[in-house]
Amino acid sequence: MRQPSFEWTRGPAIPVVSVLFALVLGGLFVWISGHDPITAYAALLRGAFGSPYDISETLLIAVPLLLTGLSVAVAFRAGLFNIGAQGQLLVGAVAAGWVGAQWPDLPAIVLLPLTLLAGILGGAVYGGIAGWLKAARGVNEVITTIMQNYTIVFVMHWLLQNGPMQAPNAFGTPASAPIGAGAVLPVIVPDFLVPSSRLHAGVLLALLATVAFWFLLWRTSLGYELRAVGLGMRAAAQAGIDPRKRMVIVMAIAGGFAGLAGMIQVSGLFHRVYDGFSAGFGFDAIAVALLGKNAPLGVVLSALLFAAFSRGGTLMQSDAGISSHLVEIVEALVLFVIAAETVVRAVARRWGTPVKAVS
Amino acid sequence: MDVLIGAGVLAATIRLATPVALAALGGVVTERSGVVNIALEGCMLVGAFFGVFAADRTGSLPAAIAAAVVAGILLAAVHALAAITFRADQIVSGMALNILALGLTSYLDYQLYSTTGTPSTIPLVPNVHLGFLENAPVLGGAIGDQSAIVWATLAIVVLLQLFLFRTVPGLRLRSVGEHPRAADTLGIDVRRTRYWAVLASGALAALGGVYLSLSVAGSFSDNMTNGRGFIGLAAMIFGRWTPVGALGAALVFGYGDALSVSLQGVKVAGVEFPVQLLSTIPYLLTVLAVAGFVGRSRMPAADGQPYESEGH
Repeated sequence: MRQPSFEWTRGPAIPVVSVLFALVLGGLFVWISGHDPITAYAALLRGAFGSPYDISETLLIAVPLLLTGLSVAVAFRAGLFNIGAQGQLLVGAVAAGWVGAQWPDLPAIVLLPLTLLAGILGGAVYGGIAGWLKAARGVNEVITTIMQNYTIVFVMHWLLQNGPMQAPNAFGTPASAPIGAGAVLPVIVPDFLVPSSRLHAGVLLALLATVAFWFLLWRTSLGYELRAVGLGMRAAAQAGIDPRKRMVIVMAIAGGFAGLAGMIQVSGLFHRVYDGFSAGFGFDAIAVALLGKNAPLGVVLSALLFAAFSRGGTLMQSDAGISSHLVEIVEALVLFVIAAETVVRAVARRWGTPVKAVS
Repeated sequence: MDVLIGAGVLAATIRLATPVALAALGGVVTERSGVVNIALEGCMLVGAFFGVFAADRTGSLPAAIAAAVVAGILLAAVHALAAITFRADQIVSGMALNILALGLTSYLDYQLYSTTGTPSTIPLVPNVHLGFLENAPVLGGAIGDQSAIVWATLAIVVLLQLFLFRTVPGLRLRSVGEHPRAADTLGIDVRRTRYWAVLASGALAALGGVYLSLSVAGSFSDNMTNGRGFIGLAAMIFGRWTPVGALGAALVFGYGDALSVSLQGVKVAGVEFPVQLLSTIPYLLTVLAVAGFVGRSRMPAADGQPYESEGH
């Protein structure tokens, strides 16, 4: 049913309004707790974009957010809710970290693609399990992926603390042995531009993955089918698409994106896997995907926004003495307004058409 | 044998199972009425924080518990509003509330207690000393000195089991979760029933949070629930959406956790026992149960589906 008067709900209006609303409400909260919201947000902005180094650090956080965001978004497009991006990221990181450290002497031209493949495959298998359990046994993917998120955390505790990946001389945090030089994604920002920048080639891989996401969904027949399934199981089934067969593929693809994020964190940033690795990205990814309306450009922009929040929040705490957790409050409010979009739609439907015609 | 069934392990099992059981009971109530509430983790966390906060401000334990429960109910009320009245996506709403609870409690904790930590002088939930068990082997050590909340939890399990399966309001609540249309036709107010159920789930989860902060730890620390609300959901599923089952599942999970501590460093056939893998048991068992490989767990038929009454 076309509703021309509410077309604006489809454009960027809702995301922009929701972010503004969340920022205002968050500011109000800062004010009530006895601080100056302008100071807070100025510190946040400075922390995220104040210097070339800050910008490169913000981009560094945006990479895993973008990839896990794509992971959640591709599942959403097919009507599945992937809460498991965090777990898939970790499996990808473990797989990449293991391969990278197993053959440390291989040249980059062999080892880097191998590590990349391991990360993507690890995530894809983990995601695929959730898809298969749904297709074959009717298990809700929300339940499976939540459980998977926790399972891998404890498996990692074992692997790194007294299992096969335990590094012989890891001090403090349990960690794996470092990956070989050939598995490392190089830093791509020269020192004379941004001194001691850590921004690595993973950012290019993430952009490439975004293009792949777009191509897959809008330029291939598989993508067409996935979107058809997402728009309506029954309609798709009548068009001859078996939604159940697609579940495994979708969740594997979703897991692949998240696994790539894990691989990039290992190869680009930490060069090993450790306990408590990259916590939280897979959960923020849900907000990233929803705010980005599951569209390529949208996900890129919202990943940048949340990365800026994250980086800026840390500096806001050290510079202005306001807890970085303000960022989480704002993020939750953003999510809420997006959830409320269905409210806007429902209200529009109710008030825009004669009452009798609705049900 | 002591590392397997000693008094210490059993006492730890009960301690670890209690908060999970309370979250699971909340899950049973809300999902039996047809609303998925993954914000139980968040309800637990606000319960843990506001319990400590109110204990600090008022110095009164009853006030602290009341404040914690009210905080849990308020968070759940937002979920109820979103899920029942606005028919928003229940998972998104729940995720948003979990993030909100984490952000809010950590923010307040930093602003109020960052330099000192939460005060050590706050009133705590007392333990119940069972003098007559003092000399009983194993049992005395296992249950002779547990928090009052442990015993309250046991009572809640029994009462909730009776309520859901032996009373008319309980039957109504379940009918709303199984077949809301039919319940509506019989004159049951679907929305109101679901509201009460979601609010009750918030209160129960918050009590679990109080147990963590005002009974076990004696303080609040950021994200101290650390996923226990989600293990509660697992216990609810593994316990087949019944209070007694949820308690049983929580005890099984708690035992696994207790073993992962007591078996630390123990060598089996020369290899260090992988204690960390014991902690994956709740999650694996739950998925297997839902998939029908271990028993069969069936969720209420209308679980997670918003209800729109006819003629509106």
